Amino acid sequence: MTPLHFGQPSRQLFGLYHTPEKNSDLAVLICPPFGQEAIRSYRFFRLLADRLARTGAAVLRFDLYGTGDAGGVDLDGDFEGWWRDICTAHDELTRYAVGRRVVWLGSRMGATLATIAERNGGCDPDRLILWDPIFDGPRYMDSLRLAHVEALERSYFLPDRAWRRRLANEAEAYTDEVLGFALSPELRQQISSLVPAALKAPAHRTVVLAAPDDHTANKWAHSAIANHAPLRLSSFRHSLDWTTDPNAENPVVPGEALQRLLSEINE
Amino acid sequence: MNEIKEFPVQFGSNGSLLGMISTPAEGHVEPVACIFYNMGGNHRVGPRRINVKLARQLAQLGVGSIRFDLAGLGDSGPVTGSRTFMAQAVLDVQAAMDQVQDSLGVQRFILMGLCSGAPSSLEATVADPRVVGLLQFDGYAFPGRRARWERTLRRALAVPTNPIMIMKTVRWIKRKLSGPGAIEGEIFTSGTLADKAKVFVDCMNIVAERNIPTLLLFTGTLNSVDRHLDQLGPFASEKFAKHVEYVFLSEMDHSLTSQATQRTFLKVVGDWTMRAVHGVTPAATKPAPKSESSPSGFGALTAAAKPKRTAPRAMATSL
Repeated sequence: MTPLHFGQPSRQLFGLYHTPEKNSDLAVLICPPFGQEAIRSYRFFRLLADRLARTGAAVLRFDLYGTGDAGGVDLDGDFEGWWRDICTAHDELTRYAVGRRVVWLGSRMGATLATIAERNGGCDPDRLILWDPIFDGPRYMDSLRLAHVEALERSYFLPDRAWRRRLANEAEAYTDEVLGFALSPELRQQISSLVPAALKAPAHRTVVLAAPDDHTANKWAHSAIANHAPLRLSSFRHSLDWTTDPNAENPVVPGEALQRLLSEINE
Repeated sequence: MNEIKEFPVQFGSNGSLLGMISTPAEGHVEPVACIFYNMGGNHRVGPRRINVKLARQLAQLGVGSIRFDLAGLGDSGPVTGSRTFMAQAVLDVQAAMDQVQDSLGVQRFILMGLCSGAPSSLEATVADPRVVGLLQFDGYAFPGRRARWERTLRRALAVPTNPIMIMKTVRWIKRKLSGPGAIEGEIFTSGTLADKAKVFVDCMNIVAERNIPTLLLFTGTLNSVDRHLDQLGPFASEKFAKHVEYVFLSEMDHSLTSQATQRTFLKVVGDWTMRAVHGVTPAATKPAPKSESSPSGFGALTAAAKPKRTAPRAMATSL
């Protein structure tokens, strides 16, 4: 595994390149979520990348600008900058993995950004895997707001009842920061404007992995399939809790999720 | 404010540990660096990315640091051999100090022990004379009978008017029923409460004898008030208690969930760190008591003799 900084000097990204341990023509770019979801899933993607490298894939994991070890601060996060980061990371991966077909694995907002980047970015993945994608921004924001209040309640010895009241009564409450990460006004606007109709189906082969009760992702995928997009929808339930702290009460690396993703990537 | 630079390093046996060094890009670099590592299962960036935020803030003020993953966590390789988590963590922290010494030429260190990192940072401080400052954030806590009763009472009084408390109380009862030895603020140690108390007191007294600046920072996750050194309980009258800076902030939570708590953390810990670096914490301004086990008095920061290293104490492996 090789740690590396890459990208423009004014927008330094940080990544970890996993050297393939066997011959293969496969490369994988892992497009991460942001905020607490990125921290929560960090170790999971590390182990997934290790497994993929063992089977011959060249893998690049990276932090979006303003997250993890990349340059920037919370408030630097925005959709356009982030989907361009995916293309920058794609180019970086292809420098190391010359001639390999590149699969993008995007999870949560990383899946959404991968979908946008594939249509807009001029980078050319072979295939996309979208895991629990976010296609309904307002609903996503509501889920983050609730998770934020639940985290406060868990964390303080004596929780303040006003937190719940604020959540119920003020639509804008807990939208400028969620689960410890500040959101810029621009990013908040982009999330609130995110609706399924705004996202074009990818032109490259794509599989959407979503729970059966994720109606938005299911509907979006069915619509894309009806419009002859090269897309497959696959039901996927798992026990990775995206927004909690990694602790002993929930699995950090659920085996069933690891196996399923390995299988989808190596199809 | 300095421009900063950051670069990744791989170190330890077989280069299996991974970290990121932050340092001023140019100009004066303080002769003390900070060591950040994991809190619980979070990787090196820390809860809510707080290690990155603090590392960059300190680098702007001239203080270098490394944030790294212990073996088995984040991007570091798995644990090899049969050491306990604690013994391995102490070795990993020492390897991180070696790496910063090589990379930045700094020979004195402040250890930032957050939650599960607090016990290992305390052990590493005792084991390695290069350590000249110690933060313990929601680390060992031994609230005494009075504090525990008050806490229980507050919880009970809140239940009828605060539905969230019912859920929390159920979890609390489950923890209480889970057996002896379970105390707040610890998940990466083992042994009875008495074992842990002995380790804590012995180590803290050594740290005090060496006159190493120490900040014990506790949050509103443990209680909503603190009358006087409540988290030290029966050990509030030990000699180390007069040496440490003890801060309890009810408005701050253990996971630093809000931006406001992060700002407070960065201010309190940042200010303390700079005072420790410049030798103006209460401990640093007192003359170090004469002791054979005091090879690294803080006052000797810039004129330190070549530090002598010791193996992690046997106590560490018996935790």
